[in-house]
Amino acid sequence: MKVPVSLRIAALAVATTGFYTYVGQLVPQKEVHPPAEVAISKDMKPDEMAKVGREIMEGKGLCFTCHTIGKKGPLRFPDLEGVDVRAKSRVPGFSDVDYFAQSIYQPSAFIVPGFNPGMPVINKPPIGLTDDEILAVIAYLQTLGGKTTVTMQTKLPYQAGGNGQAAAGTVAPPPAGPTGGPAATTAAAPAPQNAGKKPETPQNPNPSPPQ
Amino acid sequence: MMKKGLAAFLAALLGFAVIVGIATFLLRREYHAPYRAPAAVTQETPRAQGIADEKAEVEKRDKEKPYQEVEYRQFPKIGSRVAVWIAAQLHLLFAAFVLAVPLFALAIEFIGYRTKDRRYDRLAHEFTKLLSVSFSLTATFGAMLTFGLIILYPKFTTYLVSVFSPTFLPYVGLFFFEAFFLYTYYYGWGKFSPRVHLALGLGLNVVGTGIMLIANAWLTFMTSPSGISEKGALISTWDAVRNYTWMPINVHRIIANVAFGGSVAAAYAAFKFLGAKTDEERAHYDWMGYIGNFVAICAFLPLPFAGYYLAKEIYAYSQTLGLTMMGGAFSWLFIIQAVLIGNLFLAANYYLWLGMGRISGAEQFQKYIKYLLILVATCFAVWATPRSIISTVSEVRAMGGSAHPALQFLGVMSAKNTAVNILILTTFLSFLLYRRSGKTPTVSWAKAGNRAQLAIFLVAATIVISLGILGYFVEARVRIGFSIPQVLSVLFTMVSVTVIDVFLYRNATKTGEVRWGQIAPISQYVLIFIAVTFTWLMGLMGYVRSGLRQHWHVYGVIRDTSVDAFTPTLGFATRIVSVCVLLFFLLISFVFWLASLTGKKDWEPRPEKAAETERPGLEPVGAAE
Ligand code: HEC
Ligand code: HEM
Repeated sequence: MKVPVSLRIAALAVATTGFYTYVGQLVPQKEVHPPAEVAISKDMKPDEMAKVGREIMEGKGLCFTCHTIGKKGPLRFPDLEGVDVRAKSRVPGFSDVDYFAQSIYQPSAFIVPGFNPGMPVINKPPIGLTDDEILAVIAYLQTLGGKTTVTMQTKLPYQAGGNGQAAAGTVAPPPAGPTGGPAATTAAAPAPQNAGKKPETPQNPNPSPPQ
Repeated sequence: MMKKGLAAFLAALLGFAVIVGIATFLLRREYHAPYRAPAAVTQETPRAQGIADEKAEVEKRDKEKPYQEVEYRQFPKIGSRVAVWIAAQLHLLFAAFVLAVPLFALAIEFIGYRTKDRRYDRLAHEFTKLLSVSFSLTATFGAMLTFGLIILYPKFTTYLVSVFSPTFLPYVGLFFFEAFFLYTYYYGWGKFSPRVHLALGLGLNVVGTGIMLIANAWLTFMTSPSGISEKGALISTWDAVRNYTWMPINVHRIIANVAFGGSVAAAYAAFKFLGAKTDEERAHYDWMGYIGNFVAICAFLPLPFAGYYLAKEIYAYSQTLGLTMMGGAFSWLFIIQAVLIGNLFLAANYYLWLGMGRISGAEQFQKYIKYLLILVATCFAVWATPRSIISTVSEVRAMGGSAHPALQFLGVMSAKNTAVNILILTTFLSFLLYRRSGKTPTVSWAKAGNRAQLAIFLVAATIVISLGILGYFVEARVRIGFSIPQVLSVLFTMVSVTVIDVFLYRNATKTGEVRWGQIAPISQYVLIFIAVTFTWLMGLMGYVRSGLRQHWHVYGVIRDTSVDAFTPTLGFATRIVSVCVLLFFLLISFVFWLASLTGKKDWEPRPEKAAETERPGLEPVGAAE
């Protein structure tokens, strides 16, 4: 019996699709969930802060998408091993904490020699760490070659209003966000421009309730 | 006509099932007032009074009900994500087809006009036959997608509207003109002077491209938003339109659409070829399939370059996004993409080689083919393997995390770039050999010309390969720069060799005829395979484009807080892609079948017995004769 052409074509289409689906099942299967919020309390001790900071760097901070710790060779992004030692001397007059804060809030203000700019502003979306989370991250960065000196009470010049809050709702920019001008281009002192404004959510321009 | 009866019965059955499905769905959602058992205490109130009280209470409650904005609604069973995904993908596939076919139909019609060869005109007409039903299907899925978004993602949709509302009216206007041009172009075939008709076709293409540019603005904005404040408020719609990925997607899409449209049109020809009953029909559809495939491959060759341009702009917009794409969760997707593209190259070359069988005097070239085959297979292997040696993301982390993205995209990419460039050169060479089959150049400088072409090929291959090898020994930063001379030398080769070839084979003597229709039938299945692979590739890449945003509706601006905020596994994604592809082919075979009805004889009543004996043996897909 001859198989009708229509059936053959259909079989070919199904087999081809099936084959690609099969290839799709062969590769590693990973479901990526939105980063989990790490609980932060105001009275964490330095080593707790560093531990939380490390977790944030692995998760929500996305730091290890780019950075490594302890990798040699031609790299595209600076390796962070022993970074605390370098941080103390990178910018004259900056302590390691000042330097880390600048790296995080205004990454383009100082470019590590031999690398291209490209580090995102960490307190802005899409990463959007809060001020408290950033303190924890700095605490961990300090352990890479030094000792944690920041506390949850440390005030960084870039922080707005002090208490960082997690971004709520669907619209991302955290209320604590506006620091350091648009995309931090120069090394100028941070000018919290619209710090006083209440966060607005972009919405329907005329939300008239139906009667 | 048993088949006809069977098809009608199946269609009726399907229709019935759909209706039953819709009805059960609606009934399940219908509001049923809860039944209240009359409790002993309530006996005190007279029944009528009780009912009135209850009613008054409900009324009161209804009146005072506050209006609440909903962020998300759930689509039953498959969920909102998958529902919108399928609608969007089918819409895109049909839209791509409807935009692409006029592009090359017009080109073919123009060739017919210039060469005065009626065959081209007829071919262009035949291609456009596939358009009108596809156009309706595009609009249907577009409406489904729009309603899907409004119903299932109301808050996000409102946001997009707030940014893009000024683009909607032009869109609708263009859509109207698209319909106008499409139908006048199709129904006006042969009814106007050729110039007027060509102008209509041009209008159709201009308007269609305009529509695509506007729609691309919406979806590229979601990946790389611009023109808005930090809080997402609109500053400039125009800036939102020309965001980072808009132009690269426009370019990549136009080219990919043509490649896709060509391959689907070739599949149509293949389907007609396989069902053809006369040699004349076979010759015609062989030729049509050849042209469709030719269009597809011509558009396919520059696609990788457009892809790199797109990737570059994504990196320029946000390194984090770029690294998510090439180094993070999606890096494995590009392995799958490599398998697909490798298959396309293999199949395209195979088809060309089979095609030499229809040319007498092609034997002299056929001996080279096994070498080309080896080359293609090797490149394919190189392209698909190195990255897969590293097996899991965590293993990569263990190997030193961050170098991984660099490795992915630019490190091992060195070998991949080389492989893909050689693949392109090889396919181009196959084309060239095919073109030459059965012809002998008559120009005086034939030998020199051939040598020049060979020299260009060799130099380009040497540049590509040596840079590829050198890439292993230099820093990442230097290596990035290498891809540019590689690409340029391939592009230069294709252009210069083609130019030489055109002049070389001017007035060439024909030593062998092209015997259209005399090609191994397997070649037609190859064409169908190419079309399915292309469609699947579209689906896969559409998924990267939108999956890349991960838990964002608008990257960095509107966060996805729905239950679908996570990024599914590639296994899941590929299954959905397959569902979309199969649905597309189901629908497109319906379109093919409708298009083939025009050539059929009108229905006439005839005696029952005679019909039985007349039943044809072979029938193409969906042909319910
Ligand atoms: C998209 C890639 C990317 C991501 C994500 C990223 N960085 Fe960076 N980072 C860079 C680049 C590029 C540089 C070097 C250029 C510069 O100085 O701005 C850098 C520099 C730094 C430096 C200075 C290093 C030195 O030797 O002086 C620190 C500290 C740093 N990053 C910390 C972080 C932290 C903490 C995170 C996560 C919250 C992070 N980075 C996320 C790309 C990235
Ligand atoms: C190797 C580098 C490439 C990269 C990084 C790349 C990247 C992408 C991305 C991100 C998309 C999504 C855009 C969209 O949905 O419109 C896309 C779409 C697509 N790509 Fe590529 N691509 C590359 C090469 C190719 C090649 C070689 C082909 C060859 C067939 C190809 C075919 C397609 C198709 C068919 C689409 C769908 C277009 C559409 O949605 O209209 N790409 N590509």
